[in-house]
Amino acid sequence: MKYNVAVIGSGMSGIMASIYLAEKGLKTAVISKGDPICSVSSGCIDIAGTGSDTFLEIEKFPAEHPYHKVGKEGIADSINYFKELIGKYGFIYSGDIDKNRSILTPIGKKRTTSLVPFPMEYADIKEGENFHIISFKDIKDFFPSYVVINYPGTKVSVFDAETDSTLGIATKMDNEDFLLTFISWINRQNIETDKVGIPAVLGINKTDSILKKLQEETGKLFFEIPTLPPSIPGLRLYRKFKKLAESKGVCFYGNAEISNFESENDKITEIVIKKPGRPDTVSADAFILATGSFVSGGLRFNKTEFIETVFNIPVYSPNSTDLFNKDFFKLGHPIEKAGILINENFKPLEAGFSNLFAAGSILANSETMKYGCGHGMAISTGVAAAKNVEEYLK
Amino acid sequence: MIKTDVIIIGGGATGTGIARDMALRGIDHCLIEKKDFAAGATGACHGLLHSGGRYTVKDPDAAVECITENAILRKIGKSCVEPTEGLFVRLPGDTEEYRDQFLYSCRKTGISTKTLSASKALNLVPNLNPQIIEAVKVPDASIDPFRLCMLNIVSSKRRGGKIFTHHKVIDIVKTRGQCTGVKVLDKFTSEIIEIEGKVIINATGAWGSQIAKMGGSDVPMTLSKGSLIIANHRLTNLVINRLRPSSNGDIIVPNETVSLAGTTSIHVDDPDNLTTDPEEIELIRTEAAMMVPDFDSIRLIRSYTGVRPLLRAADSSKGDRAISRGFQIIDHKNGMFSILGGKLTTYRLMAEKITDRIMEHFGLNERCTTATTPLEGQEDLAGYPVSKRLGKIEKVMCECELVPRDKVKKVIEETATKSIGDIQHRTRLGMGPCQGGFCTYRALGMMQEMGHVTPDESLDTLKRFLQRRYKGSRPLLWGDQLREEQLVEGIYLSLLGMADHEI
Repeated sequence: MKYNVAVIGSGMSGIMASIYLAEKGLKTAVISKGDPICSVSSGCIDIAGTGSDTFLEIEKFPAEHPYHKVGKEGIADSINYFKELIGKYGFIYSGDIDKNRSILTPIGKKRTTSLVPFPMEYADIKEGENFHIISFKDIKDFFPSYVVINYPGTKVSVFDAETDSTLGIATKMDNEDFLLTFISWINRQNIETDKVGIPAVLGINKTDSILKKLQEETGKLFFEIPTLPPSIPGLRLYRKFKKLAESKGVCFYGNAEISNFESENDKITEIVIKKPGRPDTVSADAFILATGSFVSGGLRFNKTEFIETVFNIPVYSPNSTDLFNKDFFKLGHPIEKAGILINENFKPLEAGFSNLFAAGSILANSETMKYGCGHGMAISTGVAAAKNVEEYLK
Repeated sequence: MIKTDVIIIGGGATGTGIARDMALRGIDHCLIEKKDFAAGATGACHGLLHSGGRYTVKDPDAAVECITENAILRKIGKSCVEPTEGLFVRLPGDTEEYRDQFLYSCRKTGISTKTLSASKALNLVPNLNPQIIEAVKVPDASIDPFRLCMLNIVSSKRRGGKIFTHHKVIDIVKTRGQCTGVKVLDKFTSEIIEIEGKVIINATGAWGSQIAKMGGSDVPMTLSKGSLIIANHRLTNLVINRLRPSSNGDIIVPNETVSLAGTTSIHVDDPDNLTTDPEEIELIRTEAAMMVPDFDSIRLIRSYTGVRPLLRAADSSKGDRAISRGFQIIDHKNGMFSILGGKLTTYRLMAEKITDRIMEHFGLNERCTTATTPLEGQEDLAGYPVSKRLGKIEKVMCECELVPRDKVKKVIEETATKSIGDIQHRTRLGMGPCQGGFCTYRALGMMQEMGHVTPDESLDTLKRFLQRRYKGSRPLLWGDQLREEQLVEGIYLSLLGMADHEI
């Protein structure tokens, strides 16, 4: 098949870029090897740091951070664009992009983020605030007692959903009869507070109507607390975002590992997808590399060398004798600086391809965990790369 | 004040083996271990039940002990021995001369052998290096050292043995020059207990000199550290040894869902301060890949290092590998006995010999029956091997090793433990490919729900566990293991918010 643009990687940056391009009327494909890392995330949009003002935090980031290539206005516009788009599609995010808020983590700590998906709207628990927790019998990835350490007044009720996995409970919640039984059980509990925390299992496909029904029938304000992966909020975000892209005409190639590519002079012309039997090919006028960092498989480190796994283009390697910190809890291993360096048009440096662009956490110096900027970086560099592709194709 | 006849210090294979032997002969005893069972060399070895092949050329006496004990343990400990059998493989460059010596010595020491052509060996273990010249099959086996210690303790407990794990000996009490008891610190409550005994047995392995010194004696020991790596697959169903004089990186042992490769031998002074050097790992990996080439590409999930407590030889110029792997009993003539050296495979024999000595000391003549009595409590173990656990896969707490919730709950109930290691060693939770990245949090959550730890203690334990886990995987962070590490960091540092935020 022939496209205007082929985006490699179906994480936040890849899908974001594809939606932007499809909206501009360009024929766009997304090629992905598997589910992206955002599908195990908390679903929150982290923009920057732990301070209260996200843009003040970004100013403090080192000069080489990819955010500075997007610019303050670019970051603000692209994340607002994302918020509005997905909001119209029924997935509402709360929060302002220039502010940080904190949400409750599964061990009762606070975690800074900027935008939260609607089931976490009330998760910004203040010091000393009282809330109730509903948990599930034998659920294996959520233990309310961790939360209660920091909120000693919190009471816990336990519902028996007859399954121990978050995915299992979330699937049951999508079923109306189960939900009604659950709601009538809640109404028999003695819940004294307005706010009720619940592990993130409120359905996979019908979360908005489940939440609405819960609040109507019980009069309580429910908020989800993220759990260990499989993370339902991450899964919801990924599925919704992908559907949104499809509704804009983006074509997805899933389970598609790229085995080779073809080029003519300084242009990549075609990528070859591994398939049993005859390989599939996707040709395009421009390509966006959004394959992520090591965890996603976009980069690979083989003890001595850094490798970009699709086009084998040069990878910036950090100048450090020790690539890993000694302390597990210290953020930012030097190795996380590794990645693809880009010019002002989001084209990889020294790759020799004029129609290749890059976005997301594969970019050198992004250090998304250290700077708390994961999805924010992905969205804004995704849009920025897409804008440059648009310009390039004119 | 607790009174007993024999105080055993050390909860490794030797110490727990002595407790079992004492119990079967009706001797009142108590055992003190500063951590959990198998916390020293016992738990940090490769889990090989030696056929004796490794020692047969150089140390035939040790080889005879191994093959005898190998046969005994297969009989008495069916649930913790997996009768894998083993191969000694000859690669290009390994001499025929050594092979002949090996076969001759095996005949002399009674180790059964079967020579296999390269193609037969490759049929048996398809992952072997296709360039092998030939292989010799011997009765090696894989053994679970943690289970072995637990089972020894069952016999002791059933006959009134008093067992104190997570208790540290802080002083030896002396009365008129004789050792008459110990002062012990409870590491959970910080309480100090005094135990009075007629005899003290020092079975502390690498910590032997420290304990002997507390009693006023010196012991001739030297410490040699050995490192191992764990690969995330079971690459072979047989133990694989290199058919050449023993050296670094000459063994691969399958262990349930993973494979271990080792080892090195480097002299150390302090058993409490061990590091695994990147050079050691690279050496083991390259040598293992000579035998099983998958070690070139496989995900390595953890490295660890243990200390061999070796008997100091008169001539130490040949290095630690030349020192005998035999054992020695020393009567310090002050009420304390030390048992030194030895190895996991011969732990039962070591226990028998020292118990004989103590019986003689007491003027008793009850005979040893540990070689013929099956280990007690095996019926309670979760199915072994892992294929048996597949039968019941609902409510799984540890997906890698298929450990069900019920089993974890039972261990927490029975031991009332505050230590995550206690659960890992009893159920294999966290011992598989993700190395506890997911299930440790769950097990700790259960412990607090059941009221055995406070949430604060449980978070502290989780932190210590994650730090320790990282220490083991840090030298192996490349390829897929780097991906796994980034995922685990994403979960704990970001999602759970456990990072230190001072950047």
